[in-house]
Amino acid sequence: MTPSPASEGRDTPVPTAKTLEKELAKGWRDYRSGISSSSAVQIVEEEGDGKLVMNFGPQHPATHGTLRSIFTLEGETITEADVEIGFLHTGFEKLGENLTYQQWVTVSDRMNYLSAINNNVGYSVAVEDLLGLEVPPRCAALRVIMSEISRIADHILCVGLQGMDLGAFSIMLWAFEKRELIYDIIEAVCGARLTTSWTRVGGIIRDVPEFFPDLVYSFLDEFPPLIDEIHTMLLNNKIFVDRVKDIGIVSEEDARSWGLSGPVARASGLDMDVRRDMPYLGYEQYDFKVPLQTEGDCFSRYMQRMEEIEQSLEIIRQAMATLPDGPVVHDDFKTSLPTKDAVHNDMESLIHHFKLVMLGHGIQPEPGASIYSATEAPCGELGYFLCSDGTDTAYRLRVRPPSLYNYAIFPRVVEGGMLSDAVAILSSFHVIAGELDR
Amino acid sequence: MSEQYPAHADLPSSLQELILDTIEHRGQTQLSCKAPDHRSLLENFRHQQGYDFLVDVTAIDYLGKDTLERFEVVYVLRRRGARPDQFRLHVWLGESDPTLSSVVDLWDSARWGERETHDMFGIVFEGNPDLRRLLMPEDFPAFPLLKDYPLTGRGERRQFPRVVPRGDRMVEEEPTDYPTSIGRGMHTPEYIEEVERDSKPRE
Repeated sequence: MTPSPASEGRDTPVPTAKTLEKELAKGWRDYRSGISSSSAVQIVEEEGDGKLVMNFGPQHPATHGTLRSIFTLEGETITEADVEIGFLHTGFEKLGENLTYQQWVTVSDRMNYLSAINNNVGYSVAVEDLLGLEVPPRCAALRVIMSEISRIADHILCVGLQGMDLGAFSIMLWAFEKRELIYDIIEAVCGARLTTSWTRVGGIIRDVPEFFPDLVYSFLDEFPPLIDEIHTMLLNNKIFVDRVKDIGIVSEEDARSWGLSGPVARASGLDMDVRRDMPYLGYEQYDFKVPLQTEGDCFSRYMQRMEEIEQSLEIIRQAMATLPDGPVVHDDFKTSLPTKDAVHNDMESLIHHFKLVMLGHGIQPEPGASIYSATEAPCGELGYFLCSDGTDTAYRLRVRPPSLYNYAIFPRVVEGGMLSDAVAILSSFHVIAGELDR
Repeated sequence: MSEQYPAHADLPSSLQELILDTIEHRGQTQLSCKAPDHRSLLENFRHQQGYDFLVDVTAIDYLGKDTLERFEVVYVLRRRGARPDQFRLHVWLGESDPTLSSVVDLWDSARWGERETHDMFGIVFEGNPDLRRLLMPEDFPAFPLLKDYPLTGRGERRQFPRVVPRGDRMVEEEPTDYPTSIGRGMHTPEYIEEVERDSKPRE
């Protein structure tokens, strides 16, 4: 077993298999796998100088996923923080080199499982960029509507969990209640609720049902009161405000240098939104603002998400008003899967479908072509770097997950703060482990 | 965006020479250079030309392909403001010594970007203060995104020591290796050969 060259000479010691062995010899409980642990927070080691090394996660309700942090505490102050990720690593990028372009759509669901549609859309846009395909206007508008609906679901859940972590449990229940409206829409358009796999390269699975506008308009009526309700509930809650104001400050300079994106970056004043800066799917036709905050604390991140929800509602209204008619799949069936209706009723479509799904006959971009394509996912900039070698599987598929770069700064932000602040900061960063580890 | 302000137009001629190739594809610019030269190029892009946002660091493994070197390390750079632009810098890196200097001092986002590239490809970024494994376990004996690493792995999952409770003590169990057919790769040459063999008419 060759150790990685970098494991020697690093600054902060972290638990390794060797230290684990020593712990076992001393009769310590296994802190690595968490078996036999009666509590989720475990104190690992007490050093002589009054410092305490504490293990936070990976199985802890406040981490909302498998995130492990190692805090060195002096009293209740975190003097040193380190994180370990990779508990959900599933090799999505390796799978991308072994599955065909169409097959990988299902894998993209599993990244940010709270807004799977945004992942589907981002991936399809990337492959279409690589091929130079432009989807029909109806498909683009539907993708925009569903992306924004999905963004609202993600943001409202994040706000709800932020409330729940800081003692305002009803916010989460209210958020979940209204989120159900969103999941009804998602269920209506693709049949699934969580793992949607809604898009295809060059289009979407099928056109939306006839009652789709009714569902969306009733959602647009019923949802907005929740924003005011949450604001009233949280902004008058002294405990909540005290625990998020001036906590976990990220400066604009840091946000830029550490590559933060999405609501976390914009809450720090970093004016960057892929939808506006590099429009895709016709985002330039919609009139929306990119909200910005200046403080960069947990409170700004809460306000940022709430303001973004309002802008998303605005985009949905505009897109619904101008929703064009027409096909939802690109008509070049050498690259786009025909809809199922056509496959079942039409000889040519059946042949096209068959050729596209056969191994070695699917989408074949030109050899040597590579592209970096970014979309704005709820957590931030979701980028796909695709490199083709002319076969029907990507030669290299790289996902630039927003959570990865957002989470890199987390240890730095919590250092110097109190232990209880770490919970508030983590929930305001909204790191999704599935996307972080891929 | 990149059509309007080409990324390499403002480079001094001494740095222009370092760029081996410029590819324009679907409106995106891709520059390539050799390994030690990337540092001076990236310094110029960061300090003189205001590319203040490093979007991503990753790599490509061209094992067995007819390319200049085996690895290509990819930097995606972006600048905003009056002259917005985004481009990619591909850095060729040899197989015999996959080491190149880090850009952590230019952009902090390179910290985890380089860490993940190291974790997946074994490329060493000299000067990165924290080049531990990021996604794989500390003692994982391979680099999984290399092209010669099989999709199913080499059985590492079953080789990890398991720690199980025995009475009131935690005991390390011997790893047990058992055969499995789970996750057999569809695209391996062996599988394709097997399919071809099975589809031939039997005598």
